[in-house]
Amino acid sequence: MNEEAQQLSEGTPESGAQEEPAPEKEAPEEKAPTRPTVRVRIRRGAAAGDPDERFDVFQVETGPRMTVLDALVAVQSVQDATLSFRYSCRVGMCGTCALKVNGRPAWACRTLLGGLGDEITLEPLTNFPVLSDLAVDMSPFFEKMKRARGWLEPTGLAEKAPALIAPNSRERKRIEPHIECITCGICYASCSIVGHDSDYLGPAALNRAYTLVNDSRDALGLERLLEVCTEDGAWRCHSQYNCTESCPKGISPTGAIKGLKRRAVSGGVKRFAASIFRGRAPGA
Amino acid sequence: MWGNALLRTMKTDILILGSGGAGLLAALAAHTQNPALDVTVAVKGLFGKSGCTRMVQGGYNVALAETDSVENHFLDTLQGGAWINDQELAWTLVSRAPGCVERLETVCGCFFDRNEDGTIHQKAFAGQSFDRTVHKGDLTGIEITNRVAEQLTRRGVDVLEETRAVALLPARREPERIAGALLLDIQSGEFIAVNAKCTLLATGGGPTLYKISACAQELATDGMAIAWEAGASFCDMEMVQFHPTGILTGDGLQITGTLLEEGLRGAGGHLKNAAGERYMERYDPERMERATRDVVSRAGYTEIIEGRGTERGGVFIDVSHLGKSFVRKNFKGMVERCADLGYDLAGGPVEVTPTAHYMMGGVKIDTACRTNLPGLYAAGEDAGGTHGANRLGGNGVANATVFGEIAGEAMAEEAADSPLLPYDAEALANAEEKTLDALGEGESPYPIRAELKDAMWNKVGLIRNGAEVQSGVRLLHDLKRRAADARAAGGRAYNLAWQHTLDVKNQVSVAELIAYSALERDESRGSHYRDDCPHTGDEDLYNVYIKKEGDAAVIERKPVAFSRLNPKAEPAALVEPDPNFID
Repeated sequence: MNEEAQQLSEGTPESGAQEEPAPEKEAPEEKAPTRPTVRVRIRRGAAAGDPDERFDVFQVETGPRMTVLDALVAVQSVQDATLSFRYSCRVGMCGTCALKVNGRPAWACRTLLGGLGDEITLEPLTNFPVLSDLAVDMSPFFEKMKRARGWLEPTGLAEKAPALIAPNSRERKRIEPHIECITCGICYASCSIVGHDSDYLGPAALNRAYTLVNDSRDALGLERLLEVCTEDGAWRCHSQYNCTESCPKGISPTGAIKGLKRRAVSGGVKRFAASIFRGRAPGA
Repeated sequence: MWGNALLRTMKTDILILGSGGAGLLAALAAHTQNPALDVTVAVKGLFGKSGCTRMVQGGYNVALAETDSVENHFLDTLQGGAWINDQELAWTLVSRAPGCVERLETVCGCFFDRNEDGTIHQKAFAGQSFDRTVHKGDLTGIEITNRVAEQLTRRGVDVLEETRAVALLPARREPERIAGALLLDIQSGEFIAVNAKCTLLATGGGPTLYKISACAQELATDGMAIAWEAGASFCDMEMVQFHPTGILTGDGLQITGTLLEEGLRGAGGHLKNAAGERYMERYDPERMERATRDVVSRAGYTEIIEGRGTERGGVFIDVSHLGKSFVRKNFKGMVERCADLGYDLAGGPVEVTPTAHYMMGGVKIDTACRTNLPGLYAAGEDAGGTHGANRLGGNGVANATVFGEIAGEAMAEEAADSPLLPYDAEALANAEEKTLDALGEGESPYPIRAELKDAMWNKVGLIRNGAEVQSGVRLLHDLKRRAADARAAGGRAYNLAWQHTLDVKNQVSVAELIAYSALERDESRGSHYRDDCPHTGDEDLYNVYIKKEGDAAVIERKPVAFSRLNPKAEPAALVEPDPNFID
């Protein structure tokens, strides 16, 4: 980012000014602002390393209960139609609008502008390949989910009728706090281990594995535990709690990963896995 | 021109457009029935994350309890639908729902909420004689779409993400037959011409063409618009459901119109106007807030337009008397959502507005999801008829999943022993040209979209009037001309404005069908209310059909077939169910 260019553009009345190169966009028709505005800096360009990568700055009028998504829609539909970003449900259910707001991953749709300051910087999620501007390719994240076999492998028995599982049973109590993940990718973006080790399964896939390991309807059992308690799986987690801290759903993937580790140790899986993955399991 | 460098072609047995409840279940059912078939799912957004099944909150109506019955569910569905439902579709819905919800649990791994004894819990929804709504907290759709999408990943079904359908392709030698679709890859801007034996419309309708709407915002009635172009027959397009409690945070804000779920009213929540009156006393003193959605929405709208609403044009939902801990425990998702926006749902009133929610009308289908065009199937909100004049809360996801399964099975059967017929290359070239014509210099789609939403809200909305709808039609004609010349600047790759231009063309085209059908129905019934003809006719119940012939829309009334239950005979016993419909 070019600080000088930013200074320059700050002094101009235009909206939609580019920081780099010098401002060149047309200002929308000038009128006395009737509402307070914020400066919204948006990362532009295709994949990382795109020579055209830059930050564009837009002045956006704000109002009560306006969200980051409202700001993006206002920019795209009024100031710069070429802005790319992704959203669907607008209310925290689809998990497709996550991005970095002032450096921290968040949902655009449920993050109010109030409290973010006079200048808001929007960037694509870390740890995901960028497609265009703020839209990222989520396929590596879902590949991990696939590697963790993040789906029920039904037991023949369970297919007959829904299993009787009391709400106060240990099974339900273990699964419940982890099941409402909307796979928005925020935990994956916030995880420093994912950043270091692109093979690491990551918080969401391990969180799903944890719900399945506890699910009496799942046929994989020990096999699943073995598959996810590997060097690139649960053991790789350093319990930094970044995922837990950033999860908008209040889920603790760290807790799930610890649960997997505990299970592996108590079931002797760690030692067993170490014998299979000789030299790979840490501390083996 | 662009030439064909940006056109890929592919062949598949079954092409499924959409990955909401209908698309996902169709893919799963087709693959399960015949794993040797090629099944391809194309979805406008991300897989399993696009569309409105994902957004289902309250849950899934199904007769599971011993003290309930599919007959009761059927009767509730017909009464809710003001007796113009296609009774065979409605019966199919209620009789297959128990098996479908069980498979969601046992095959897909959905983990619905439980009773103390470990059986599946069912909660109260409006307009029903029994508390039969299966749910996962107050965010049921996430559980369903996540779990089913996982199962498709497990089975290796082909998925094309951020890929929309821009036209259905007729077969070369049999123009009535659909032989695939032209798709547009939103990320790259490339076309994909898919040759398929069977094509399913499961794009989820979506009345985003109203100013305030509850749906996922990428929904733009795409499926209905391309089916209209291809010559599909539609029914009851005037029937648009408005949900009474869309959250209202401010005019034009994205979150405005998204739902606060029906379970809040089911559990005993109160609706109040600005003066604090429980206004439902004046509209439906018996059922109060638990009246059907059409009644409650119109009541709220009336309060607002008659000046008893809030400054911002809303009313209030208040659940604070139910107790903070009860609300927090049972409506966690709603409480968190409100808290993010600065409201305390458990502690006091929250401002709400009626919001366009669901289209009961759609492409006419039979009980195997076949349309009038061979090779083309429809399921979920793209299809019409099941819900009649008003859909019960909780029957939407049931409808999507039940008919998704049926469509998958029917397509697997057809695809197993039919040849792949080539599509008409000229139709393909025309569709390409038309799509590319939306790129370049012209009017921006955004003013057109905004005016369309206002026109539909004001002229063809909750309270209609023949003269007003007529003036709405004139506005729509003008908007259609403008939409034809709307264009987006920029390139082909990930160009949102290009997509929105294509969207608004579709939306205007389907808006016309709603307006024409609303003019044709000169009575008030269910969600269709005309203050110039407020009565609900007891005689000669009919459905409104609309179909394209040449460039004209041909509209026709046909009497409702009371194939199982006659409203006049109520509460007579049901006609003996057809064993074929028992799952």
